[in-house]
Amino acid sequence: MSEGLEAFEARLRRVGAERYHHLHPFNVRMHAGALSPEEIRTWVRNRYYYQTRIPRKDASILAKAPDAAFRRAWIQRIHDHDGDPDQEGGLELWLRLAEAVGLDRGPVERLDGVLPGVRRACDAYVDFVEQHDLLEAVAASLTELFAGELMAGRIEAFEKHYPWVESEGLSYFRTRTRLAPRDAAFGLRFVVEHARDFETQQRCVEALERKCEILWSLLDAVEQAHRAPRIASHVQLRGDPEQPEKWLAVLPERAVRVNEAGHEILELCDGERSAEALMATLRARHPGVERLSEDVCDFLDNMARIGVVSWSDPER
Amino acid sequence: MTAPRPWNLIAELTYRCPLRCPYCSNPVGHADVRDALDADAWGRVFRAAAELGTVHVGLTGGEPSVRRDLETIVAHAAEAGLYTHLVTAGVPLDATRLAALHDAGLRSVQLSVQDARAERSDAVAGATSFERKRAIARASRELGLALTLNVVLHRHNLDHLDEILSLGRTWGADRLELAHAQYDGWALLNRDALLPSAEQVEVARRRVAEARRSGDGPEILHVLPDYFADRPKPCMGGWGQRLLLVAPDGTALPCHAAAGLPGLEFWNVTERDLRACWQDAPGMNAFRGEAWMREPCRSCPERERDFGGCRCQAFRLTGDASVADPACALSPHHDRVVTARERATTPPALRYRGAPSAAI
Repeated sequence: MSEGLEAFEARLRRVGAERYHHLHPFNVRMHAGALSPEEIRTWVRNRYYYQTRIPRKDASILAKAPDAAFRRAWIQRIHDHDGDPDQEGGLELWLRLAEAVGLDRGPVERLDGVLPGVRRACDAYVDFVEQHDLLEAVAASLTELFAGELMAGRIEAFEKHYPWVESEGLSYFRTRTRLAPRDAAFGLRFVVEHARDFETQQRCVEALERKCEILWSLLDAVEQAHRAPRIASHVQLRGDPEQPEKWLAVLPERAVRVNEAGHEILELCDGERSAEALMATLRARHPGVERLSEDVCDFLDNMARIGVVSWSDPER
Repeated sequence: MTAPRPWNLIAELTYRCPLRCPYCSNPVGHADVRDALDADAWGRVFRAAAELGTVHVGLTGGEPSVRRDLETIVAHAAEAGLYTHLVTAGVPLDATRLAALHDAGLRSVQLSVQDARAERSDAVAGATSFERKRAIARASRELGLALTLNVVLHRHNLDHLDEILSLGRTWGADRLELAHAQYDGWALLNRDALLPSAEQVEVARRRVAEARRSGDGPEILHVLPDYFADRPKPCMGGWGQRLLLVAPDGTALPCHAAAGLPGLEFWNVTERDLRACWQDAPGMNAFRGEAWMREPCRSCPERERDFGGCRCQAFRLTGDASVADPACALSPHHDRVVTARERATTPPALRYRGAPSAAI
């Protein structure tokens, strides 16, 4: 038995109303003008990684599509993103945004220091599309239904609250307000036409929910980079006579061995310094160490999960 | 042979306690034991333990806060470099005293609660204490102490597990320890009244799994009752391997119940140094390692995981501490556990700790 088409569409839209990342505290603060320039830059720099995954995701969808008309329509997304001789694409426009917020183009383009949580979230999206059928892959893209409105609000917020960002830098958002509704309408029509029974509709709803989770966790990672880790008040950090080169982080009924590098990180966890600032300090101390940000983030995540480290609340 | 490292020191500061829980793990004859160690003597124990490589000290009892010198004892432990953990029933402690203990170097509190609601918790404790416990939980959070709530599970509170899980969240515990009564001491005396039904145990296991999946709330440690398992618990991580306990009279033991095993000679920290008590006491070496094991343990591949189970339980149920723990389905004495489990369908009344006539 299938759900009425209108009811199905309403369910999809409700997913957006309840779970899309416009509700994420970081986005709420962005639109309220509460982000610092550093936070804006962290977001732009990291979100570029998402942009680079999008054409690959779309290519994966193309590869699944048996129908020429579908492919003809969908391939337009790749052109929109990668650009062509007549038109700059979304990737280029995002790099302009990066420059407009004060970032150097090169490191952004090289994906230097992308937060591991952001990387995981974006890779999870590409993996999801690769591992699911065409219908679910398209359903996951339906966050575009909610993107147009978000972009409009974002342009307004940037013009009002972040006047230091040149208006030309906002071209990406302007382009998306135009393209997102077009793309979403096509995707929605496809999903509604092909999800004919309740079980299939349910799979589509879940695909869209999964995508919302992915976008949400991307912002979680960005937000966390500006929170300050601190060693939990009850934790004891001490040496171990049996292994002088190692340290022990001691908690109730548990002790975790920490090596010299881990100890150096923990010593910087003072509850004042943000994870971003902490990583900058370590990069300056250890130039040329590869994957430093990734390793530091993973270490802090681990320590937080065990309870050695706790995170301060976001600023303001 | 070098003795293993005693990572964890359990300091039983006293057997005195205002509560009268019918499953107390203290010896049934606890009332005859005086507190032999003053604060300075405990300080010497802590420094000696730190030299042996001890990392954690659990200050317990009885109720450690009945000792007026607890602040000094905590300070000695912290100065020795140990991670200080207080195991308390929440009375006669109060928030002011807890703050003083925090100043002295206390890092962590384990607060026992007997059930999720005041009247039932107080009934099991045999003393009015629930609201005091709530105040201690709040004070612990405010002071930044790690907070573990400990609930001993048995037939009479196992059906309230949802409320207990919710209490862990509302009281803001970092960890919720749900440990089925270990049937020794007072709990063995009351075993037939305390043993839950197999169905209760199974429902509880599922509830805990659901609560863990939901993700919010404290970390949950669920110690399943070995009477309902096919295999024994790796008691104390092995006899004399990781845990060193000093009883109120100064005896150094491998666990809280080992003094009740006949024929074992343990040494006392008032007479010898702690290192000797740990490394060389005949009782401490009696069941260390695997040489003492008999079949079916001796050739069992699981002996490296469970160390043959609990020596005290083996003795209580068979009269011989060197046989396999009868909780193990491979033990020739397993029927004694099965019989007790089956008898649990018609439980008798509880006998409370402290009433002298009950100690027979």
